[in-house]
Amino acid sequence: MSDAYDRRLHRGDGRGGWPSLAYAVVGVGLLSALFGAVTLLDWLTLSSGVGGVEMTTLYGAGLTVAGVATVALGFAAWMGAYETDARERTGIGEGALAGLAAFVVVGLVVSQSLGAGGAVWFLPALLVGAATVFLVGLAPEELGATLPWAALALVAGLAFLTGTFSVGWSWSPEGFGFAFTGIVVVPGLAILTGVLVAWAAAKAAQGFGARGRQAAAYLLIGANAFLMIGLLLALVVFIALRGAPTALEGAHLGPGLSVQIPFVTNGGGLGVEIEGVYPAIVGTFWLVFGALLFAVPLGVGAAVYLSEYATRGRFTTVVDVATDGLWSTPSIVYGLFGYAFLVPRLGNHSSIVAGMLVLGFMLLPLVLITSREAIGSVPEAYRDASVALGVNRWQTVRSVVLPAALPGIITGVILGVGRIAGETAPLILVAAGGLNGRAVHVLRSFRFTGTPPYVANDALLSATNALPYQVYAVLEAGVGGSEAFGWGTAFVLLVLVLCFYGVGIGTRLYFRGKLER
Amino acid sequence: MSITTRTSFSALRERALDELVVGAVGAVAVAAFAVLFFAAPRYAVFPAVTLALAVGYGWVRDQAVTARALTLLATVSTVLILGLITVYLLVKALPTFQRMGLGLLVGGAPYWDPGSDVYVLGPMIWGTLVTTLIATAIAGPLGVAGAIFIAEIAPGRVRDVVKPAVEMLAGIPSIVYGFIGFNLINPAMMDYLEVSTLGSLFGVGVVIGVMALPTVVSVAEDAVTSVPAELQDSALALGATDWQTIRNVVVPASFSGLSAAVLLGVGRAIGETMAATVMLGHVKEFPEPFYNVFGNTETLTTLIASQYGSATGDASFTSALFAAGVVLFVTVLVLSVASWRIERRMRARFGGEQ
Repeated sequence: MSDAYDRRLHRGDGRGGWPSLAYAVVGVGLLSALFGAVTLLDWLTLSSGVGGVEMTTLYGAGLTVAGVATVALGFAAWMGAYETDARERTGIGEGALAGLAAFVVVGLVVSQSLGAGGAVWFLPALLVGAATVFLVGLAPEELGATLPWAALALVAGLAFLTGTFSVGWSWSPEGFGFAFTGIVVVPGLAILTGVLVAWAAAKAAQGFGARGRQAAAYLLIGANAFLMIGLLLALVVFIALRGAPTALEGAHLGPGLSVQIPFVTNGGGLGVEIEGVYPAIVGTFWLVFGALLFAVPLGVGAAVYLSEYATRGRFTTVVDVATDGLWSTPSIVYGLFGYAFLVPRLGNHSSIVAGMLVLGFMLLPLVLITSREAIGSVPEAYRDASVALGVNRWQTVRSVVLPAALPGIITGVILGVGRIAGETAPLILVAAGGLNGRAVHVLRSFRFTGTPPYVANDALLSATNALPYQVYAVLEAGVGGSEAFGWGTAFVLLVLVLCFYGVGIGTRLYFRGKLER
Repeated sequence: MSITTRTSFSALRERALDELVVGAVGAVAVAAFAVLFFAAPRYAVFPAVTLALAVGYGWVRDQAVTARALTLLATVSTVLILGLITVYLLVKALPTFQRMGLGLLVGGAPYWDPGSDVYVLGPMIWGTLVTTLIATAIAGPLGVAGAIFIAEIAPGRVRDVVKPAVEMLAGIPSIVYGFIGFNLINPAMMDYLEVSTLGSLFGVGVVIGVMALPTVVSVAEDAVTSVPAELQDSALALGATDWQTIRNVVVPASFSGLSAAVLLGVGRAIGETMAATVMLGHVKEFPEPFYNVFGNTETLTTLIASQYGSATGDASFTSALFAAGVVLFVTVLVLSVASWRIERRMRARFGGEQ
């Protein structure tokens, strides 16, 4: 880690209270952004904009204060009220950013207020933008790094306070089929200007210069990471909130210690009190089972050959390209292939077998790539020791390499299963159909026939339901489908897939930890 | 590595007769199975049973050779599957290519008229392009920034939580995203952004961007961590701050890996089907005007998924869907080969320095 932070001989050297003010501005800016984001989500999750008006005043006040404080910080630094490492000139990079912001703002204001159509706004915006680039770029860093963004925050804050953007406001850009509305613009601007003013203040807090820019960059990157994790977590929580009530309807602790969840154990159709997704779960189970049966031996076998027997040459390059091609092929293309190649040969209609094979094709590259990695990461020492004992190559693979690589292979398989369990597109084309009424009974349906192929299974050759397809069917049914049922199914699917992924990642971490020790 | 190397013929000569016979029988059975599965699937059970018997015999007789043959078979089948996919797509799409020629890509209105056998993929290609651009604009910068956070900035304990969390979130199925998009984002856009149609390319682009984000983060994080520590240490020794090191040393050094990560995200975005299918209204025309990202059109993937039902029984319609599949397949293949080459070059560049 760099030691460039602790150059001061003792704390509080020459800064006074200014860094605290800067940190306060950072806090206000981030809070404004956070509230803006939460309001936007309210817009998404509830259907009211009630808090909007009062929030506008709050945003306005907060942003105006933050803007004023940032201006003060900039000038104070410039006049030497506290010690900074600011550069002589702000530089073209920040100047360009400020110029871009000015271009956008002036363009919007001119086109809005003058109301003229066409590109009247372009020239004034360009001129102001170019002037800003030079002004900011050539200004001393204390001023150039703070004033433009403080100005933005001030403008936004005053606009909120004077009620320019309120709930009823709306503006529709020409040619685009949408409109900026007040409900969206108020939180959106709050987020944007809040982050920008926090960014500027972070620079001031660390005394500008290299340290200041680092603090500002870290602020942005940290905010981005926070946003990503928060967004994705919100997704999961949201689905759980919407889907769990339906999925757990009627669930109770049954006789003894067993847990009864009707949604998971019932089928659909008339006469059932609580409609469930049991047939879909059974369908998904068989599809995944068949895919595993197909893809794991092929994938592991190919990985063994490529790692142990093959020498690098044209053949291995071709296999590498083929694996990469298979891995990146879209799932709908697999569906098309199954429809063209498998379905005519398996009864000319959708069937579970076709679905198993198509999902197996999708699983194959995943298993192959992870198995190759796992086998490749087994230390050479293991193989050398085995050869030294006089064991031939295959026995080495069977008794030394494969067991050592097994954790990695299993992890890859689990992650692959997690992925194909959630696939819908290929199923639509080759396997789906069948009502949610009854689950297929694969094991019971094997029978011998008099003609080739002498073994037949009607269940395997029939279309089936599967969890992802069930969600899709709810959407396709439109008004006839039940949205709550769809949320419940989506919740069950999500739980299933996340369990697989969680177990897979957990085992990978566990075994990687063991290897490193 | 075997201790002695022999040519294949002299090796064959050293085998006993029964091994040669069983080997030949097995090879013939494989070929016969392949041919019969193509032509008359019912009868493919015969070579399949023969193969099983031959493998069983060979396993008992000489396990090592049998195992090697089996694994070779598995490897060849991987290549075979990709070859089959390519061939079948092209064969099925050929009638459309023959009928429409280049007009398939650049034809004018009407764009999609199954009744009169007119199929133009222009609007769909445009739809795929627009949604992919929006998705990349979201997933690219945010993903790379997130990867830098995980690899360079986050303290150890934070990284141990965030990295698995991002990988797990890559697993949320796309139909679930589609469900959320259909029930939430589309109505919200209509109510609050006054979008006139239910569904827009912009909404789909945003959702696909969020879906591709974890992919970009994972691969980019691998690229950033593979930058040798010596490079970063030298920068620090010269007095640079951590951020200056990241900006001027780590990012340029891992640039190939980062581009490969973004390309992979793009590939994922192009192939995304279900979320887009349920969110878009299926209007097979260019939006008015063409740069209206809030317009409602098709992408190549949604075309196939939504028109599949109406295409059964109509050979030329089906062939047109396969043509869309070919365009999709070729695009993603080119992207993936490009990103693979970039990654190989990056590994060569850094492998030599260690």
